[in-house]
Amino acid sequence: MKVEFWGQEFKVNMVVGCIGGFLIAVLSSMFGFGGGPFMVPLMTVALRLPMYLVVGSSLLAIFFSTTVSSLRHYQFGNFDLLFFLAMFPAAILGGYIAPQIAKRVSPTVVKRVACVGLILLALNLLGVY
Amino acid sequence: MNKRGMMLPCFFAAMALLFGAGSAKAVETVAVDLAVPTITIDHTEINNGGTIKVTGQAQAGKPVYLEVWAEGHDVRANRFDSEKDKETGKRPYIFYLTGEMPAYYKIFVPKEMQAKIDEEKKKGNKWSYSELLKNLGAGDAYAVPAQAKIDRYQSTLMASVIGSRGDLLPVMDEKETRKRSMQLVKARFRSIDNVFTANVDVKPDGTYAAELNIRKGIAPGQYQVVAVVDKQAKSQPATFENKIGFPVMYLANAGTSLNLIYPFLLTLAVAIFGVLMGAGGGFIMNPLLLALFPALPHTVVAGTVTPTVLFSQGSGILNYSKIKFISWKLGCAIGCSMLLGAFIGPKLTEMITLSQFKFAFGWILLILAALMLWQTTPGYLAKNKKEQAILKEFKKRAESSAKGSN
Repeated sequence: MKVEFWGQEFKVNMVVGCIGGFLIAVLSSMFGFGGGPFMVPLMTVALRLPMYLVVGSSLLAIFFSTTVSSLRHYQFGNFDLLFFLAMFPAAILGGYIAPQIAKRVSPTVVKRVACVGLILLALNLLGVY
Repeated sequence: MNKRGMMLPCFFAAMALLFGAGSAKAVETVAVDLAVPTITIDHTEINNGGTIKVTGQAQAGKPVYLEVWAEGHDVRANRFDSEKDKETGKRPYIFYLTGEMPAYYKIFVPKEMQAKIDEEKKKGNKWSYSELLKNLGAGDAYAVPAQAKIDRYQSTLMASVIGSRGDLLPVMDEKETRKRSMQLVKARFRSIDNVFTANVDVKPDGTYAAELNIRKGIAPGQYQVVAVVDKQAKSQPATFENKIGFPVMYLANAGTSLNLIYPFLLTLAVAIFGVLMGAGGGFIMNPLLLALFPALPHTVVAGTVTPTVLFSQGSGILNYSKIKFISWKLGCAIGCSMLLGAFIGPKLTEMITLSQFKFAFGWILLILAALMLWQTTPGYLAKNKKEQAILKEFKKRAESSAKGSN
């Protein structure tokens, strides 16, 4: 498939894109996360698309999966309104506060901290400690 | 010698008469009640958990069980049976689902039975509710969940692909329902401590006493306690009320009460960190919630965290679309395949157990950590710097042209 973006044309391998997107969507909806950190590498590394094309388009693709996943979870009775109302304002508030902090910290440092945190969480889930 | 020989039988005869009269008298007064144990509780109200003292009288020499459950607050429980049948060797792939599991259910057993509970605990996650119930002799006390209406679905690979639970199978008979309900009790309450406690003190004369430690974080409203000796000998239910107040609220779908301030603060912290590290908060939020609030079912955690990011995603898309920084064609094309995936995923969530959920999530997080680490390597950083510069340049152009067209 050919995609035109800001005067440039890109060839996109839709077979890889769709299979990858499908698998990421199954996992992300199953476990309740967004999927952005997997979607961006898929599009930049596997599909060889430039970052400036990927940032917006991956968000749009993920929005599809998150919407359907939310509806399906609601249908299966996995959605708890009160619990949602406790978390939702905090998520929005966090979205406003974060950019203020982001200016002052190095993204590389944040990622390294996140890396350690993620490994600790993973080991906890896997029952290592 | 002879005299003493006469004295002793006389003494015994007198004793026998005395005791015989005594026990006969006891039988007379309690005869009607013996079949039905009595039950008294010391107070009828607790605040988000607490201790209730139960005392009563049952037939002497028999164990007393206390069945306690939340009246009027039911939750969902489900279990996907994919274990090999011992006789036929086939995997049944049947999905059991009930919406009538009490939000709280526990059987208190005589304290002498602690050893049997400890024995079952050694099996770890593989403990069996029905076996433990049998070993404790508490089968007659198990009554409420056995009456739940259980639906069962025959799952097939095809049904899973289209995201359906499968065909609804005919209603089970009473015995089968009882058997399956026990598995659902385990699926819902997970740990032995949540469903059994050995602390009923039964005296030889049949009086019993127990301190019911009702844990925090359970449903508000009416609770019932029934003392059970056997099928015929059950007491009238004693009722107490569990009260909770804001900010502790009852989450109906999760079946637990929670101080809502904690998830609020947690989400705030995670959301900020999520934006900084460039990943949605869901990756951190789900495992943290599961670790900090073990009472929450993983299905509800996944199902409720997912929609919280919808708003930030939507506003992000809006901002990008304002400066025409989205390729609608590319986004929608990949979005369509993701749509299908997202249709299937949530059904899989309810088919797996918590431990499978944790196991898979653990590996996903390890992969994510590896991705993050790769993004901090010098080679990636150098490449990313260029990419970011181009990104900024294009964004600037897009912004100015968006302003220009206004």
